[in-house]
Amino acid sequence: MSNFLNKILYHDGRGWWDLPRTQWQEPNPKMEGPLGDGIAPIKRIWEITTAANLHHGTPAFYVLIGAILSIITIVEVWAFAWLFLGDLLVPLMLVLSLGKFVLVVGFFMHLKFDRKYYAWIFTACMVIGIGIFVALLLLLNYGGQVQQ
Amino acid sequence: MASASATYEIKSEHGEVINTSTGLSNKKLLMWAFLGSDVMFFGSFIATFLVYRNRSLVGPYPADILDIPITSVSTFVLLMSSLAMVLALSYVQEGRKKLGTLWIFAVVVLGAIFLLFQVYEFNHFAKVGLTPRTNLFGTTFFILTGLHGAHVTLGVLWLMFLGFGSIKGTLRADNAIDLELAGLYWHFVDIVWIVIFTVIYLISARDVAPPGSVPWVPGAH
Amino acid sequence: MQTTHPGVGSEPISMRFPRIFPRPKSDYGIWSWISTVDHKRIGTLYAVTSFLWFLVGGIEALIMRLQLSQADNTLVDPELFNQLFTMHGTTMVFLVVMPLSAAFFNWLVPLQIGARDVAFPRLNALSYWIFLFGSLFLNFSWFVGDAPNGGWFGYAPNSHLAFNPTHGMTYWVIGLNILGIASIAAGLNFIVTILNMRAPGMTLTKMPVFTWMTFVTSVLIVLALPVLTVALIQLQVDRLYGTHFYNTAAGGDPVLWQHVFWLFGHPEVYILILPAMGIVSEILPVFSRKPLFGYTFLVFAGVAIGFMGWFVWSHHMFTVGLGPAANSAFAISTMAIAIPTGVKIFNWIGTMWGGSVRFSTAMLFAISFIAMFTIGGLSGVMHASVPTDAQQQDTYFVVAHFHYVLFGGAIMAIFGGIYFWWPKATGYMLSEGWGKANWLLMLIGFNLQFAPQHWLGLDGMPRRVFTYAENMGWENTNMYASAGGFLMAFGVLLFLINVFYSARKRVPAGDDPWDGRTLEWSIASPPPHYNFEKIPNVEHRDDWWFTKHPELIAEYYHDEHEGELRAPSGAQFDDDVEDEHHDEHTSDHHGDDDHGHGIHLPDMSYYPFILALGLTIVGAGLMTIIPVIIIGVVILLWGLIGWSMEPVNDPVPEGASHGH
Ligand code: HEM
Ligand SMILES: [Cu+2]
Repeated sequence: MSNFLNKILYHDGRGWWDLPRTQWQEPNPKMEGPLGDGIAPIKRIWEITTAANLHHGTPAFYVLIGAILSIITIVEVWAFAWLFLGDLLVPLMLVLSLGKFVLVVGFFMHLKFDRKYYAWIFTACMVIGIGIFVALLLLLNYGGQVQQ
Repeated sequence: MASASATYEIKSEHGEVINTSTGLSNKKLLMWAFLGSDVMFFGSFIATFLVYRNRSLVGPYPADILDIPITSVSTFVLLMSSLAMVLALSYVQEGRKKLGTLWIFAVVVLGAIFLLFQVYEFNHFAKVGLTPRTNLFGTTFFILTGLHGAHVTLGVLWLMFLGFGSIKGTLRADNAIDLELAGLYWHFVDIVWIVIFTVIYLISARDVAPPGSVPWVPGAH
Repeated sequence: MQTTHPGVGSEPISMRFPRIFPRPKSDYGIWSWISTVDHKRIGTLYAVTSFLWFLVGGIEALIMRLQLSQADNTLVDPELFNQLFTMHGTTMVFLVVMPLSAAFFNWLVPLQIGARDVAFPRLNALSYWIFLFGSLFLNFSWFVGDAPNGGWFGYAPNSHLAFNPTHGMTYWVIGLNILGIASIAAGLNFIVTILNMRAPGMTLTKMPVFTWMTFVTSVLIVLALPVLTVALIQLQVDRLYGTHFYNTAAGGDPVLWQHVFWLFGHPEVYILILPAMGIVSEILPVFSRKPLFGYTFLVFAGVAIGFMGWFVWSHHMFTVGLGPAANSAFAISTMAIAIPTGVKIFNWIGTMWGGSVRFSTAMLFAISFIAMFTIGGLSGVMHASVPTDAQQQDTYFVVAHFHYVLFGGAIMAIFGGIYFWWPKATGYMLSEGWGKANWLLMLIGFNLQFAPQHWLGLDGMPRRVFTYAENMGWENTNMYASAGGFLMAFGVLLFLINVFYSARKRVPAGDDPWDGRTLEWSIASPPPHYNFEKIPNVEHRDDWWFTKHPELIAEYYHDEHEGELRAPSGAQFDDDVEDEHHDEHTSDHHGDDDHGHGIHLPDMSYYPFILALGLTIVGAGLMTIIPVIIIGVVILLWGLIGWSMEPVNDPVPEGASHGH
């Protein structure tokens, strides 16, 4: 069973979505994934922006990330101003800014490329921080309804 | 106890031997641990903001005063400064002095523009009638964004220092770690702003007077 | 004996900066202490300073005990009483137990992990100076007439300007914020030191337990102190600039303060106790002549406590009315945290079990730690139960609980640690005779003072009252308690006598008086500046002990560690470790003369002192005295710029070959 899953999801034991080019992993095998060569164009962008065998991205890659960040921000503002989402607004905004957060931490701060140690440290702090502050908000009865 | 000859070497990204138990650079580890600590700092303030959301007794309330378009622009500026930062680091690491210096000062300029936006916003709010002493929204808003602004200011000064170092040639590829630390700090300040922008502006900007409190009339303060 | 280096100034970022003082290099005299970056000296500074605060805090306590010894006493008025208990609590927590632990961190961590200093020596000095100035600032409030009076947890809005118009609480918020910076800097430093500076072969699972507990404590400090900082900043801007965080008239929420404070406060109690647990875990195996029982469990329990400690804070707020769901959740998590605590207690008992126990003073303190801490832990579990706590909150029962864990626990362990490591630090022994008298008086006095307070509390005597009526029937018990207090004080006096007596006698200790187990015992007493002539290579847990008793290795290790990779490390001040085949424990290295060994020690610096001074002056100026702020900022900038332009401490000497 797990073998079967491996066959579908992994290539040589690695997920096809796993980003390549960290010094601490061997370079990934050729990207194939379930879509076969269907993702070739994306693949090409990826290859251009991250020159092979680098421990961090190339300038082009960073510009790409910057562009994605800007697009997310525009989407956020657009969704805020023109879509009247009601209750969906908060979750949508949280998801979108989580995306930005991850992009900056992962690529600009090099956590994706760097030693895993740093990522653990930061994640551990985030886990404790988010844990206690969410608990705090729950305790103070924050859930949309207004306190008198 | 045998001799230490059995040790093996760990190389950093740039090939120099790092003689630490984990192979991580001391300074960088310090920086990351500090950022973890800062997570708790800003986390507490953001939690306070959320706790006091919709609890102000008098206006102006967020819906009366927050200006999303302007803040979107300043948010964008800060995001782009992060991009400039990562480019600066990448050039300095490659030893391309001119480009490196250029991008470092780009960060400084973008950071300063962000601060100008903030100064404008604060002044504007004060004129319209929202100060830290007006209501809970004012208190939480100004202190949180003000402390973030203080972080930005510190970062701008730090990067200026490094920028001049780069001009003088004291910041080079071999000690690019100094710039990397400043960069980590800068990106962190940026992600804090990502959260602040979401929490204060995008999520709370439509908050009106909570039931039981006085709606706000512009100019009546 | 600071080594001077030829290569000073050759490091890249050393632009010229106008220097007012010459670079410090003296070995003795006051300037050598002000500019020191040696972790041992800084440890001594911490120890001496916080011991002085211990005496101050103790005197405050004795005045309170005098006042309470009789009903309707009028020795001190309620105002002063408020100030006394506030400053007593604040002093004992922030100026005594935390920095005394820091003294042990400083002295021991580099020695135990086989390093020559901490990772950031100047930052380390900075922590100390900030701590010193911050503590002076806090206590300066006594001289301007109104000391802080809002309790050590400074509940807002009671501490708010509206209800508390004197300057006291302003001193408190600013002072604690300054102290917080010191703690965070020290915490960061020790995290990096412990992760990065270990001797070759010392994997995490071979680290001494004290080092482990230091690590957990440092993580807690780094994450918990910012939360306090935030609460204090909020209160500070409220008090000084009229914002509304805790202004109830504008909708501020008193419960929020309690939450934020205890979010910090409960991790803080573990910051206070974990180092003590580490100390005891070092003393017990040595005097039982057995390895620690269940090392892995003990360490894991410490980490678990450090993690779970984040999710129990509301047990200080059971009577606030958070609702049954919240109360039950926190009751459960609080009871759960007693489990790892219990694990540790059994480990310590298991360590002594079947060992050949020597009852030295250090051991006696360690054993009484276990006993007293168990009592305190049990009363803790009692008020983890919500209905029970409704009876006990804000009574003397809680006072008894936390004194059993803090005095019976932390202070007992710290005294044990002093007796244990004194010979290492000074080179001569503390007298065992005086020591045992000291221990006995402290133990008896302590129990006489605090055991009756359980009864007082259950009988309803509230804490923080300056007196009580005659017909309450509390007089006798309070009288005993006060007597116990003075007995304890007498015990501390014996300690001081012991220190002076032993300093006169100077019975030489030798390098390893107790047959120790960890690396600090493998070097001379007092340790030379550079600690280790050769960075040791660690193969086992309790490496030094197995080096002395190689025949025991087979008994304790079943070759499971064979073939393990060895981490490189700590050797960044180290050139020649790589190519030498040298048995570093033949103790042929007692000479103090390190020239010629090529050992590089960090350079001394004035800037930590200057920076700390500037920071404190800025803090003082925050009491809305603008010119003072300006002066402070100028000094601060001077320190900062000087600091960053000072040639980096570890210059590469000519011919050195290690990679940079
Ligand atoms: C078995 C572990 C422990 C449990 C279950 C426990 C439980 C509690 C509870 C429920 C309270 C609140 C009592 C009340 O105010 O009504 C409390 C107070 C306190 N505990 Fe513990 N505790 C434990 C260990 C410790 C340790 C190790 C320390 C410090 C080293 C400590 C220090 C304190 C302090 C200082 C207070 C009083 C705070 C104040 O109100 O001023 N406790 N404990
Ligand atoms: Cu607690």
